[in-house]
Amino acid sequence: MIHVEHIQHSFKIGKKGKERPIPVLKDLSFEVQKGSIISIVGRSGSGKSTLLHIMAGFLKPESGKITVNGTVTSDFNETQSAEFRLAQFGFIFQNFQLMPGLTTFENIELPLKLKGVSKAERTQLVKQLIQHVGLKEVQDHYPNELSGGQQQRVSIARALITNPPIIFADEPTGSLDSETEQEILALIRSLNESRGITFVIITHDDEVASIADEIYQMHDGVLKAGGVHHAI
Amino acid sequence: MQFKDQIDFVSQHIKKNKLRVFMTILAATMGTAFLIILASVGFGIQDTLKKEILDNRLVTQVEVYAADLTIDKANEMKKLDHVKAVVLRQEVNAFQETTLDKYKGQSGLLVSDFEEEKKAGFALEEGRLPNGKYEVVVGHDFAKNLMNEEEVEKFQNQQQGNKLNEEEQAELELPHYKGDLLGMEIAYEIGSYETNESYKEPIKLTIVGIAKAPAKDFILDGKLYADASLIPELEAIYKSHQAEESEDSLFYPNLNVYADELQNVKGITTSLKDDGYSVYSISEELEQIDVFFLALKAGLIFVGTIAILISSIGIFNTMTMAVTERTREIGVMKALGAKPKLIQRLFLLESAWIGIIGTVIAVLLSYAISILANYILPLIVGAALGEEDFNELNVTFSIIPWQLVVIASAISIGVAMISGWRPARKATQIDVIDALRREL
Repeated sequence: MIHVEHIQHSFKIGKKGKERPIPVLKDLSFEVQKGSIISIVGRSGSGKSTLLHIMAGFLKPESGKITVNGTVTSDFNETQSAEFRLAQFGFIFQNFQLMPGLTTFENIELPLKLKGVSKAERTQLVKQLIQHVGLKEVQDHYPNELSGGQQQRVSIARALITNPPIIFADEPTGSLDSETEQEILALIRSLNESRGITFVIITHDDEVASIADEIYQMHDGVLKAGGVHHAI
Repeated sequence: MQFKDQIDFVSQHIKKNKLRVFMTILAATMGTAFLIILASVGFGIQDTLKKEILDNRLVTQVEVYAADLTIDKANEMKKLDHVKAVVLRQEVNAFQETTLDKYKGQSGLLVSDFEEEKKAGFALEEGRLPNGKYEVVVGHDFAKNLMNEEEVEKFQNQQQGNKLNEEEQAELELPHYKGDLLGMEIAYEIGSYETNESYKEPIKLTIVGIAKAPAKDFILDGKLYADASLIPELEAIYKSHQAEESEDSLFYPNLNVYADELQNVKGITTSLKDDGYSVYSISEELEQIDVFFLALKAGLIFVGTIAILISSIGIFNTMTMAVTERTREIGVMKALGAKPKLIQRLFLLESAWIGIIGTVIAVLLSYAISILANYILPLIVGAALGEEDFNELNVTFSIIPWQLVVIASAISIGVAMISGWRPARKATQIDVIDALRREL
């Protein structure tokens, strides 16, 4: 489903004119199977977030190629990249990234608005999903009125609402306590099984990584396959 | 994103920053209203001046000057296109005396063709136009020229008893003929300027009409208007008292051509000029006034536009703040799949909204100020100058034509959108990764 081929990337640091490149990703190649969950585990600064940003189209790699569902995405311009994200990807962020001025309902509705879906259809889709992820009680609450777990559920619902084949999750449980973490991981696993959604999870936590079908270890910009687990 | 959703999105953000947006709209309103009011004064004064000219003078009149203006030449001019009338007035250039009963006066006589006078708009207050050579129309103030020597002397003696200053004396009206004029017979004599005496050859004339008062109050019309058929008789009297070799003419001609419409005055003026006449028409003055006011209005609009530009700094600041504050939100929207063009459109919509609301309020406010100024300013100026007649002048201080509203709105909304352009561009360039790293 996702083919990552020979991706290289470096950041430039230092004063303007005297910058020097620091390599972050060194010739990475791997493949993500449709309907699977993969985890990329590594310490801070190992380059795992940069890899996710490149896969999601937030960042262009210096070299290499990324193909998603047969489309080469690494050559996209900003507009093409945005269109592709809206159609194919969902995102779950560590600090939820909800709009503070929008209610639970409106936050989940946002990607549908961006897609230009009609009001009637939006309302129906959001209502169904809210019921499914158990957020009905708090649908009119603003993010600051929700617990961390509830906020992450809203974030997951927002990622699911456009029914994307792939969801990228960047430290999805990084801001949650262990009990809530288990809940969220269970939700991810069940969505993968029931809807066949492919998940790419970035984490530094081995326990989170363990829900994956395939685990990759990231160390100093180099990726190593790390085995198969089925903890949950 | 549907347009309605874009509007919802923008209005949500405006609601969140009510005070800041209100202050920005206020600045935009003040700038635009200033522009409209300033230019409306130019329009107002121009309108007043034009009205004054149109009301008080014959705008379709072309005055023609030449050494020898004859009836033949007048008839030639009648053949020109768009000429309504050609009036050749010939004024008597000699000592003149008019007698009615025991009253005497020195009113001047002029002869004219009344068919043409009528076409040119010669208006009567009473009576009719002359039909024969011994019938005349008298000017509105003709009676004031008819005085009785005894009555005047008696009056002056009376006044000597009252100690009046010069000003009061000047204001005193001397006693004059107060009886009916229509149907009365008068004796008209010409004479010599050298002796200031008549030739004692009176012509009996009957008053059949009284002309309308001149438009300007300070002009007194005490003339006698007679038909051109009287010319030979007057010339015969004059010639019999002149030396044979004398070439002096009794009459002094004065010729006016009248166009059928204002827009045709220019054509007539040009063709008369081509024929070698010296001409003057008020339309030339009007044209100059229009050019002057066009320049004045352009100047006022320019000054007003500066006010709008100053207010645009407010819009620029507000929009820049809005983009800075919403960097994280913009980042999230971009991450979810919002195209850069959409982000730009959302911010441009917001600055356009500020411009549109500011303009609408400014237009309404300007009309209110304009109406109020036209009502109150004449009262204040009249009171300050101590002139009661000021109100009668019908001065318009401010006029807001629709063209001014269109120009001002275009400038104001245009400037608002240009001010929002850079912040909107900045919003599209926000880096998703940087934005997502930001704290709430």
